[in-house]
Amino acid sequence: MRVKIVSYSILIFFITLVQSTVLDNIAIYNVKPNLLMVFIVSVALLGSNVEGAVVGFICGLVQDMVSGGPIGFYALLGLYLGFAIGSINERLYRENVLVTIIVTFISTVVYEFSVYFLSYFAKGSLQLVYPFTHVILPEAVYNSVVSIFIFIIILKIKRRSEKVAKDSRRY
Amino acid sequence: MLRRFIKSKLFILLTVTVIVLIVMGLSSRKNSKIKYVSNVFTVVLTPFQELINYIGGQIDEASSYLKDIKALNDENEALKARIAELEDEVKELEGYKTKNDELKKALNIKHQFSDVEFLGANIIAKDMGNWFNTFTIDRGISDKISVDSTVITSNGLVGRVVSTDLISSKVVSIIDESSTVSARIAKTGNLVFVRGDLKLKEQGLCKLDNIFPDVDISVGDTIETSGLGGIYPKGITIGTVKEIRRKTNDMNRYAIIEPAVDFKRLEEVFVLIGKDNIEKAGESKDEG
Repeated sequence: MRVKIVSYSILIFFITLVQSTVLDNIAIYNVKPNLLMVFIVSVALLGSNVEGAVVGFICGLVQDMVSGGPIGFYALLGLYLGFAIGSINERLYRENVLVTIIVTFISTVVYEFSVYFLSYFAKGSLQLVYPFTHVILPEAVYNSVVSIFIFIIILKIKRRSEKVAKDSRRY
Repeated sequence: MLRRFIKSKLFILLTVTVIVLIVMGLSSRKNSKIKYVSNVFTVVLTPFQELINYIGGQIDEASSYLKDIKALNDENEALKARIAELEDEVKELEGYKTKNDELKKALNIKHQFSDVEFLGANIIAKDMGNWFNTFTIDRGISDKISVDSTVITSNGLVGRVVSTDLISSKVVSIIDESSTVSARIAKTGNLVFVRGDLKLKEQGLCKLDNIFPDVDISVGDTIETSGLGGIYPKGITIGTVKEIRRKTNDMNRYAIIEPAVDFKRLEEVFVLIGKDNIEKAGESKDEG
């Protein structure tokens, strides 16, 4: 447990730093991957729904703080994303990379559409096709690719944490 | 039954949702105190962002240095000739300047920016998602920046400050979809609105609407801030008209604006800090 908390905290800080600075330089068609979202998906996929919800909430809160909008917007979205994926993961063969890629793709589409609708529905200038083809679809593909690497990192942390727990139980 | 429900995950989820929604509502007000929470994280994060930004700048500089040596030599020659030319011009202009100052004093013209301080700032981070065109600068409350301060470069208008932390602030640019600037056509003085647009912002452009049918507008016209709306001071260049499009007829048209600022290559900006900022802050507190 302690291994998870420490390594997740470091990862969240590092991802936020990268996301807000250097990621713009590797944007393809002006679209960059959402590493924090991929992180939430991977953690929720490998853990329980409580774990997914807590990590999702914290990641969202960090994004709220950094983005300067109302505090709680991304936190709630992250909370529900983590909870939802954490709740369905027992029905999936979850330690498979292919499952991660598909789940990341679908989650990105749902998550980014939610962000778009909730941010713009008050303005009355909603479109459907353009945001999907020019932002959400490329981002979903990009996220899916990135999810392979983040998933492997989370999987290693999980195995490490399980090993530490087993060792401490033995004595 | 009830006790089991209270202990269930669903109940916790609902409670958290309600609390967060309340916090969200409170923090979306202008100058809300809840936003100070974000200092916890940004004060730690900002130095790291500055560091990465600095390293990136150094790498850029080094690579362009190697590339440019030959070009620089040629340019150096040309510039030397130009300097001599300009020095003559400067002498001439200095004469005009003193004359102008005297005349201004005589007429007692209040210069539009005379009660404003220019504060230089570096852009250290961009927005994390793909929807918004906001960025973070390395100046904050400790530098007297307040919400709604105008942000410019030497070329023209960049945007305004939307939230401030201790040592950093967030700026929303005029090409962001949530931005609306009250503007006027410099040639005729007609009032228009400059808005950000999701489609156009990828190319670094924005949209001009509210053009009345009788307004004479053509490609190449300069657009500047009108000073109405109370956020941006009057007379800052926004950009030039790039294209005029008709939706259905002449009554219903809009124009594409090419901002004077290149948003893709933005690194340093100036924040305008009014000397009457303290009064302003007091006013908006009363509203909230």
